Amino acid sequence: MQQTAVLELINLRKTLKGKEIVKGINLTLFPSQIFGFLGPNGAGKTTTIRMIVGLIKPTEGSVSICGYSVAHDFVKALSNVGCIIESPDMYKYLTGMENLLQFAAMDKKISQQRIKDVVEMVGLQHRLNDKVSTYSLGMRQRLGIAQAIMSQPKLLILDEPTNGLDPAGMTEFRNLIRKLAYEDGMAVFVSSHLLLEIQQMCDVVSIIKQGSVIKTANVQEIIHDNRIEWQLNNPEKAIALLREHWNIEAVQLKKNTISGCLGQHPLAKINELFIREDIALTYCSTKQNTLEDLFLDLTEGDEIV
Amino acid sequence: MLKKSIWYSILTIACVGFIVLSLGFYQAISVTTAVNPQPLAKAPLTQTPEISSKLSSQTTNFFKMLILGDSIAKGTGDEKNKGFSGYLPEYFKNYTSKEILIDNAGIDGLESIGLLEQLQSHKLDKTIADSNFILVSIGGNDVKSILSLNDLAKEEQFTVRQDSYQSNLKQTLQVLRTINPNAIIIFLGLYNPYEKVTSPEDTSLLNTWNYNTQQLVEDDGKGIFIPTYDLLKYNLGKYIAQDGLHPNSAGYQALSNRISQAVGTIITGS
Amino acid sequence: MKLFRLIENEVIKMISKKRLMFVLAILIVLISVFAYGQNQSLTRTKAQLSQRMGITATADWRKLADQQLIDMKNRLDSPYLDEKTQSSLRVRMEQLQYNLDNNINPLAQSAAKFTTTFMEQSIFLFLPLLIIMLAADMVSGESSSGTIKLLLVRNVPRWKILLSKYLTLVILEVIVVCSAFALSAIISGFFFGFGGWLAPVATGFKVLAGKLDATGVHNVPQWQYSLMVYSLALYVAIVVGSISLMISILVKSTAASIGIIMSSLVAGNFLSYFLSDWKITRYMFMVNLRLTDYLAGSFQPIDGMTLLFSITVLFGWAIAAIIISFVYFTKQDILV
Repeated sequence: MQQTAVLELINLRKTLKGKEIVKGINLTLFPSQIFGFLGPNGAGKTTTIRMIVGLIKPTEGSVSICGYSVAHDFVKALSNVGCIIESPDMYKYLTGMENLLQFAAMDKKISQQRIKDVVEMVGLQHRLNDKVSTYSLGMRQRLGIAQAIMSQPKLLILDEPTNGLDPAGMTEFRNLIRKLAYEDGMAVFVSSHLLLEIQQMCDVVSIIKQGSVIKTANVQEIIHDNRIEWQLNNPEKAIALLREHWNIEAVQLKKNTISGCLGQHPLAKINELFIREDIALTYCSTKQNTLEDLFLDLTEGDEIV
Repeated sequence: MLKKSIWYSILTIACVGFIVLSLGFYQAISVTTAVNPQPLAKAPLTQTPEISSKLSSQTTNFFKMLILGDSIAKGTGDEKNKGFSGYLPEYFKNYTSKEILIDNAGIDGLESIGLLEQLQSHKLDKTIADSNFILVSIGGNDVKSILSLNDLAKEEQFTVRQDSYQSNLKQTLQVLRTINPNAIIIFLGLYNPYEKVTSPEDTSLLNTWNYNTQQLVEDDGKGIFIPTYDLLKYNLGKYIAQDGLHPNSAGYQALSNRISQAVGTIITGS
Repeated sequence: MKLFRLIENEVIKMISKKRLMFVLAILIVLISVFAYGQNQSLTRTKAQLSQRMGITATADWRKLADQQLIDMKNRLDSPYLDEKTQSSLRVRMEQLQYNLDNNINPLAQSAAKFTTTFMEQSIFLFLPLLIIMLAADMVSGESSSGTIKLLLVRNVPRWKILLSKYLTLVILEVIVVCSAFALSAIISGFFFGFGGWLAPVATGFKVLAGKLDATGVHNVPQWQYSLMVYSLALYVAIVVGSISLMISILVKSTAASIGIIMSSLVAGNFLSYFLSDWKITRYMFMVNLRLTDYLAGSFQPIDGMTLLFSITVLFGWAIAAIIISFVYFTKQDILV
């Protein structure tokens, strides 16, 4: 692809109070791409996002948006960004409309008509003149999205966007994001710990752990990996066998359960080997690979919250 | 939209207010730092040599009197604007054919320390030396400020005040005597203009004050203490001016009368 | 032009937060209480005076004033007066003459007098307090509610955001000072009558070589004097506002920033008593707030302080506060 990158992170690092929180992240995002940024709490997701939008200055490395460096060309870079950082904190003592007007006033190119359109897009037109303090979390989230997309940005950054949305709202939201990306050509950067969300919404996903990206892959590719779960009495031996004979990295899920990706290897031969090696196999199933599994594989069973 | 119009009115008021207040600020600075534009104060000063030259013309046909001290010496309160300077010559006529020349150096609000400073400035030395009589009224302002205190603090302050007053007065008399050993010093005692609202304790303090002052004045040998307390006690309505503190014209006349009686014989005799 | 919209944003936030209304409400309540209290004590003073001097003193104030005027004329003729006393005498005579000419009882209070006195008494504590209430949460409020994130990810540089906040603060300070003037003029008018704006007031005191120099003293009309008092009040407001804004940026918690400025203000009030020997004391902003007292010639907390000195010291503080604010605000990482 020869398109210009919407977002480019080069060797981004941040040290806070002597602790390195982000350890050299490289990322490139193109128009119409929905990018998932996945990781447990404390992995450095929010810090990375804050560096992208200039709330935090990187210790090292650079962020550029549509070719403009955030550090040196802040105004031009940020003209192309709409975002929600963590919770959508709006001015609670203002009405929804007043909130939007506040942000509209800061960007010349936002017209009254655009505000109206955006409000309809997120479905807030009926409560627009109520104070935000009376809104539910879901409504605040919608308002947050409204202010983020109001300026028709080339890059939309959403930090935990579906927090507080009901299932119907989530589907609606997903469709909206898809529409923005595929019809308006927006690049969307979604950070979440809701793995299912990312899986359903994103094209590409990066998994971040303790400040480093440990895997970047196309969601479709990952999902189509052939994953098998075995219940057997000697998991340690089974894992060793898998590694020895087929070069499969399996992980132990529960006491007697292991899981691994087969790739092109035939399941029958593996099971035959297990039996030959005196491993009592009680159950074996094929599972469609999910990000959850992928995540477990990559983070070696660390807790995800 | 309501908020929009509030914003515009706030902006307008703020702009106008800011401009107006900036002008005020400029003015405040110039008023406190500008060079004094009106050195008017010079004019009256030139009178000084004129007066003293008049006084220095020593003639035996004159009695000279210098009036020193506070507002009462000055004649404050007299609606006819005469005071002792006006009435004493009239009353002295009963005792002598000589003319009385009076020089009044009274200053409103003067305390004993002020009087002492005034004398120590030596501006009055010549006048003092030429005087036959020196009328002094001082102490009222020393004692006035303690009246408003509560009883406990009052007694303590009274002692402090009286001590410094006595010491000032002693020095004042010394200065006068060094310059002029012969003049008769006539000292006016204090009266109580607030008779109606004064407690017996306060009256007793005032009496103590007057008594001690009298002792000092009598020690001088050529001094005479003229009490005023008795004269005004039941005559406040008659003798006190509108301001409720100073004697009025009638009051000054009554006091002048008393003074002239007290020293009449001396005048006649000399 | 964008800056204008930003300021509009900030002002609308302030209006919606009801912060400005709250400050104005406090002003109304306090001015009413003060005016009522003044009225009461005035009645008491009158009663005391008439008890001491007989009823005539307050009723026949003209006679009293006439008398005083004659006395002062006499004193002015005295050759033994120094220049200082003479010029202050002259000023007092002018005032008295004005009272006589315009039939104003000098004992009576007027709206004009009250308005001036109110600000003279408010300038070192009460006014700063009101300003702190406005300024202290301008930045820390956004920090604690998280909205600062939304504000700083716009395509507007940070310094412009802060500048808009600062200018908003200045606008509100002008509004507070102007309303203090209007409210006290109107409210006290109901107690004392609305007049008195042309009465002469003495000013022009200077401090020369550590002594109060009264030779330049002259009268200005009350309205002009009030104007000077309120303009100095605005100056104080802007300085205190700048410092409050700085602390609001540094501390991030509204309660803590209010606490810090309040305590330093209160400390200033006794600092000048206890530490007047200490050279540094005079360079603290808290002891320099009573600017209006220089106009009346009554202020000299520490030897050698003048209006210009105080104004310069306050200016230094304000500039320092503004510089620190801008540097810190544009550099800081937003972690909330």
